[in-house]
Amino acid sequence: MTAVLLDSLIWWCGIALELLVLFRGLQKRLVARYPFFYVYTASVLFFSIPLYFLYFGRSASYPVWYWAQQFITLVTGYGVLLEIFRHVLSAWPGAERIARTVGMSAFVLVLTFSVFYPLIISKWSTAETIIEFERDLRTVQAVLLLAILGTISYYGLPIGRNMRGMIIGYGLYIGASLSALAIRSHAGPSSYLAWYRIQPLSFNIAALIWVITLWRYEPNPQPSARTRFEMDYESLAAKTRSMVGAMRSYLVRSARP
Amino acid sequence: MIQLALFLSLAALLFLALIVLAARSPRAEGGAQALVEARQALSHLQAELLPSDLVARVFAREDLEYVLAQPSHRAHEMFLAERKKIAILWVRGIRRQVINLTRFHLGAARHYSSLSFRIEAALALDFAFLLFVCRALQVLIHIRGPYSAFGMVDATASAATRISSISEQALAFMNPAQMSAVSGPTGSSGGALGMRS
Repeated sequence: MTAVLLDSLIWWCGIALELLVLFRGLQKRLVARYPFFYVYTASVLFFSIPLYFLYFGRSASYPVWYWAQQFITLVTGYGVLLEIFRHVLSAWPGAERIARTVGMSAFVLVLTFSVFYPLIISKWSTAETIIEFERDLRTVQAVLLLAILGTISYYGLPIGRNMRGMIIGYGLYIGASLSALAIRSHAGPSSYLAWYRIQPLSFNIAALIWVITLWRYEPNPQPSARTRFEMDYESLAAKTRSMVGAMRSYLVRSARP
Repeated sequence: MIQLALFLSLAALLFLALIVLAARSPRAEGGAQALVEARQALSHLQAELLPSDLVARVFAREDLEYVLAQPSHRAHEMFLAERKKIAILWVRGIRRQVINLTRFHLGAARHYSSLSFRIEAALALDFAFLLFVCRALQVLIHIRGPYSAFGMVDATASAATRISSISEQALAFMNPAQMSAVSGPTGSSGGALGMRS
């Protein structure tokens, strides 16, 4: 009985927070500025309400709807990553290029791993395929997000409140989902409860972060036109490398007997 | 089990990156002023920290030999303590300039769509290596004194000639007109790093 109440509470909190995110998005016209993010939020909400009634009504069609929701929100979830590219990285072409290269390389690596690993392991159960598929897609999202975060941090890119909240909320949800799915895939049905509670709980926390950070529009800081020097990249890189080489020579010299 | 560990490690790494992002200062890093300060810091590096006679003097073995030839044991200790302090300050100054150079490069490079991943990766390794060498030198000098860093790395080509030509090249990073345009009326605060710590 307590478990049912807890589930119900988590569910309704999630729906309320999703509604609030969408309401503020429409009220403050954030929907026009971050369309992919709001498509994602709307897609989650679209499934949340019918799924609630199917789940508590013990409907046989619940698993079908559940996996449909998971798949669709996984796809629309890539829109959140797209928003990050559009608002944080696109103003910095060099950094965007690095993020794209690292992200794509990681994407290929993860896909290769996901395809070949099941082929070389002895145990293979088709019943687990859907969970493993979702886990692998979450892994790709996690790797792409890590590539983006690494680039932002390495190049010291400025980041506004809206985008910071979007990244932290979504990252938290992806990380929690990945952990839950990996445990579920490894431990089997014994981890059923943990699997079903971690994902919605982490989504509620993410939605709470979005409510707070997307309460009003705060644009992402853009590079000042005055910092754009008339200098080509190759020259910059060559000179930096020369300077690094010179510094190394001096350090080496200082260490010489 | 390996697979589970990999996925959980990835999730942990993601959480860690999110914590770093959340803890980051909201100010715009690497703005125009930062670039100007980094450029000025590089000038100080070339003028104050890297001149070959200064390096030669800081690590001069003749000084050590001269002091060791004196009978006072206390004088030996004082000399070594003072020289150690200077050497550590010098390495610390260099390390700070390396960090400034890194910031300068990254602050400029992020604007260029023609940026090369290969070159950026090589530079990242170079910076990391330099920072490591600085730290290792600091530790070595601290533990074994300023004259004990023998054979840490092989000698390289003549640094004095090289640095002078590179200094000239480095000045082309920004010409004076660009520097004043970027720094504006408040841009003369300077990023002098010198030997102070």
